[in-house]
Amino acid sequence: MNLGNFGNILLLVCLSASLIQSLHLLPKKIDINYKIFSRIPFFFSLFAFILLIYIFVDSNFNYQLVVNNSHSEKPLIYKIAGAWGNHEGSLLLWILVLTIFNFIFSYSKIENLDFKKNVISFQSFIIFGFTLFLFFTSNPFIQSESIVNEGLGLNPVLQDLLLAIHPPILYIGYVGYSLVLSFAVGGMLSNKVDKEWAGWLHPWVLTAWIFLTLGIGLGSFWAYYELGWGGYWFWDPVENASLMPWLAGTALFHCVIILEKKNILQSWTILLSILTFSLSLIGTFLVRSGILNSVHTFASDPTRGLFILIFLAIILVISFTLYAFKGPLLDNKSEINLISKESSILANNWLLLSTLFVVFLGTLYPLGTDLFLQKSISVGPNYYILSLLPITVLLLFIMIIGPNAKWQNDKITEIIFSISKLFILSLAIIFGFSIYFIELQLTQITLLTLSLTLILVSIKNGLRIKNNYTIIKPSLGKSLAHIGFGLLILSVVANATFAQEKIFQAKVNDILILDNHKFKFKSVEQTKGKNYNSIKAIFYLMDNKTILETFKPEIRVYSNPPTVTSETSIVRKFLADIYVVMNIPENSDFVNVRIHIKPLMSFIWFSIILMTLGGVSAIVFRVRLKR
Amino acid sequence: MSNKVKKRLIIILLSALVLIIATLLITMNLRDNIIYFYSPTELQLTNIDKKNIIRVGGLVKEDSYKYDDKTKIYSFIITDRSNEVDVSFVGIMPNLFAENKGVVVEGLAIDKANITAIKVLAKHDENYMPPEVIEALKKEGQWQEE
Repeated sequence: MNLGNFGNILLLVCLSASLIQSLHLLPKKIDINYKIFSRIPFFFSLFAFILLIYIFVDSNFNYQLVVNNSHSEKPLIYKIAGAWGNHEGSLLLWILVLTIFNFIFSYSKIENLDFKKNVISFQSFIIFGFTLFLFFTSNPFIQSESIVNEGLGLNPVLQDLLLAIHPPILYIGYVGYSLVLSFAVGGMLSNKVDKEWAGWLHPWVLTAWIFLTLGIGLGSFWAYYELGWGGYWFWDPVENASLMPWLAGTALFHCVIILEKKNILQSWTILLSILTFSLSLIGTFLVRSGILNSVHTFASDPTRGLFILIFLAIILVISFTLYAFKGPLLDNKSEINLISKESSILANNWLLLSTLFVVFLGTLYPLGTDLFLQKSISVGPNYYILSLLPITVLLLFIMIIGPNAKWQNDKITEIIFSISKLFILSLAIIFGFSIYFIELQLTQITLLTLSLTLILVSIKNGLRIKNNYTIIKPSLGKSLAHIGFGLLILSVVANATFAQEKIFQAKVNDILILDNHKFKFKSVEQTKGKNYNSIKAIFYLMDNKTILETFKPEIRVYSNPPTVTSETSIVRKFLADIYVVMNIPENSDFVNVRIHIKPLMSFIWFSIILMTLGGVSAIVFRVRLKR
Repeated sequence: MSNKVKKRLIIILLSALVLIIATLLITMNLRDNIIYFYSPTELQLTNIDKKNIIRVGGLVKEDSYKYDDKTKIYSFIITDRSNEVDVSFVGIMPNLFAENKGVVVEGLAIDKANITAIKVLAKHDENYMPPEVIEALKKEGQWQEE
């Protein structure tokens, strides 16, 4: 049988099974065996995905998608990754992840069957919508129009191991929030939004958050070494698209914690659940529709954008209609005291949402002027930096105070007393640094001191010293994540303050000097890679006569598709990265070299790992405590 | 009015005030940091503030790309086939920069036909054309579908 038809049949089974399961949501209850209909789509989308990988590995150029995105000479790993390195394949992956979540959830031990079925059915409805979208507007199994013997290749910038795993991880994050929305809808339908509901939701919200954090981190890491601009975050629409659900999701899971402990803020938590998944969808819409101008290129098509927009509208209408009827009835009436753990979490909720507002405005405003005023504009990074500065200061401040406050009611004087020593210590360290090394400005001192205090306070909160033994508290996860956030701000600020960059035009044997580093341009090497030609420039970092490090920045000339890329050469040291990138202008006898000194780069990546680990240990401790 | 209601009213009014001020500050900040895009023709028709960073995009004119060894300045001409802008730039030219291809530069205008670029943006993909450039060429009736 023709493989493409087989693939289409797999998709149709997935489509119909999820449609049948979502019929459960109709007012007139139909008895549907959820164990069958919620699990079929998983197996069939998995088969379809494996089939797609197979036709890519096989370089089967009967399929338009393979022709457009692959090439027979491409290394095997990129043939496999090529399956989801394009719009259609990535959408199939998106559906697979949707079904994985539904599949695993169908085995959860929730005894409230009515609620469980509602969640599964709404999730099935989301699966149905996306499969419909895939099948009709982005079918991966479309045959080529003519006989083709060779593919067009995959964009070389995307031929990277990290970029092969980055989308799946990011998608698990995005899509994880779909189940959160299903929880919200299911909770409202079954009138079950309470402590217990929050307890069920907690691990799912965390799972999505962990993957989204890791996914954003990986994307940023990739941009840092691959794009060769020396930066790791450009406030680019595509990056912002992933940051927005992260911000909402972070606010959300803090709310879930309050709801589980105090049984308050029901409707607010529901609202945040709707918001978070909507932002995941808006993110997909922005990236896939191609209406925004981005440094990251993606296959895009306006009709696809329209479909996502319509689907987003349907989801929003359903959730908000339900919310309008059920939302106000969900809340327990209770007052929150100004000085308490819950009020500080709520305050940080608002700060996270303000950050979200800044990012949203900066990302969508150019779109608005383009649509309504026919005027092309872009928003400079200064907008984000200046707007987010005061918010970050407040955020850090409350993150220091908040975890030390008790639930319900506390005295501000006691909290301040408990953290004052560590605050003074941090201030002294930063001041000392400013006096002895480089003079810092007030904003830098503020941010550095507060983030250092946050790190120290969080370390103290994570450990308990008892009879000379150091005991790890169950709240280790929270501490790790907060240490991670403090370290992130600390290293980002230090990086921005102390980074150095210089451009040289160099001939062989030239000596290049940046700060107190001396580089010697040794030679140029030409080699042949697997599917490209490579030109490497060899630089030595010198200390008088000895060679400390060797740098090999590279230019690759790919033939399919014909593209030139620069590969950076980075030496990672504990306190700073040295980052070298070069290119060769046409008809010239010199190379252009750009050398960056990037302080605390490794700490930025480490801080993201810490936040991720924080999430993981929060789940692990939770499972152990329950047993 | 009971004390409780009074207290709530004050809190609501205060938060509304904070919200309005914050929104105003953010939008003003946004307005200050907007970078406008012009095609060479649009640049002719606009009064440019020489202190503001702008973007100009179009095609790199054939035989216009030059490099001065002494001053280390790259120069080239951006055209939308109706009007032209001279660009000068010190730095590293992107790999994908080529004559007859689309380009967007970011920098300060000296006058209506000269710009000092701070950044030269060319995209990853060889066949990629910045949407603004397509738009600019369409406006001048110079865009050909492939």
